[in-house]
Amino acid sequence: MPSQVSNNMATKQVRYEALVRALHTDLYRYAYWLTHDKQISEDLVQETFLRAWRALDSLKDEKAAKSWLITILRRENARRFERKRFEMSEYEEANVMDTQSTSTEQEIENHWLREKMAQLPPEYSEPLVLQILGGYSGEDIATMLNLNKNTVMTRLFRARNQLKEALEKEPVTRGQYNG
Amino acid sequence: MDDLQYRRSIYADPTCQDEDILAAQQADPAKKEFAQDLIQLDERLKRAMQVPVPDGLCEKLILRQTLASHQQKKRKSRVHLALAASVAIIAGLAVNYLQFSSSFTNLGDYALAHVYHEQDDFSNDDKNLVSLTSLNQKMIAFNGSFEQSLGQLISADYCRFDGMKSLHLVFKGITDTVTVFVVPKNEQLAFSQYFSDSKLQGESIGFKNTNVIVIADKNESLSQWQRAISDNITWSI
Repeated sequence: MPSQVSNNMATKQVRYEALVRALHTDLYRYAYWLTHDKQISEDLVQETFLRAWRALDSLKDEKAAKSWLITILRRENARRFERKRFEMSEYEEANVMDTQSTSTEQEIENHWLREKMAQLPPEYSEPLVLQILGGYSGEDIATMLNLNKNTVMTRLFRARNQLKEALEKEPVTRGQYNG
Repeated sequence: MDDLQYRRSIYADPTCQDEDILAAQQADPAKKEFAQDLIQLDERLKRAMQVPVPDGLCEKLILRQTLASHQQKKRKSRVHLALAASVAIIAGLAVNYLQFSSSFTNLGDYALAHVYHEQDDFSNDDKNLVSLTSLNQKMIAFNGSFEQSLGQLISADYCRFDGMKSLHLVFKGITDTVTVFVVPKNEQLAFSQYFSDSKLQGESIGFKNTNVIVIADKNESLSQWQRAISDNITWSI
């Protein structure tokens, strides 16, 4: 009996580590686009995986693991808002991830795009991240965000529309005048 | 599909493979180009969304969980230990209670039970008698002595009277033996002066440190025995 228990524990540990290795990157990035803050994202991911460990036995379908984790993370994030409702500040320019230390053309574009994405209202950016980064369909996103599909499609349309407009306003020579 | 509807659909999902979308793209190369444009934008957005993940995050996540579940296990085993300890203590108390507490609440009940238990060991016909001297030697333990013999003493032995060392005397009586217990006073058993059942009767006298209990069948006069004992016994300090 004790050996079976420890065997189960060992199996659980293996499952957990596989889950962490496979999905921590996606989850961290999702958290980042949800919070625009590196530290909070890391904390959220930690908390999410701890909760996932406790509930790991309820995860039957490994294919559903990512959306299961995202659901946990969104709930954790909402909880953070309940706790810190009065401490929350609006998005600030300084919070955007700065990756310009190596200022290649690509990095400059990424930085610029990140700024624009960070300026999207969260209800637009969230489905966009789920679609582009997570690879989820409109139906999947609707289920995850507890919205109907038409609402999701409208938000995706507006998100891309706003980004495209911002891109078109930007001079082609952007970046060379930066700094 | 009109242009606006097409644009909305493509903006919402540039990789949309719906039949009417594909048909529209087939019919109008500009529409196809528009979709390609947005797919390219998605590529750029995807690259931008792939923010660098902190170094060692994966290891940190595994480490934190390992520590947390280790803590949990330690807590669990502590709970188990505490449970086991509680059970052991309760078992100990129960054994103690069953072994050392009396199931009798008063002197009389216990004395009767004691006499019944040993009634086959003695009879009025026993020939071996105990002398007053050896009786008094045994009484030393209770700081008492008898001046005269109370009668024909068949047996005088120490015995356990509900766990207490006591002296168990058996005299010849009129029809059957008469039992006298010399018992140290004890709070566990309530003093009962008179007691009886269908066959036997008993009477106790409380002295300073000792109770003397006489038990005999209904043919004996217990008060006579008690008077004889009271007159005959002396207690040293």
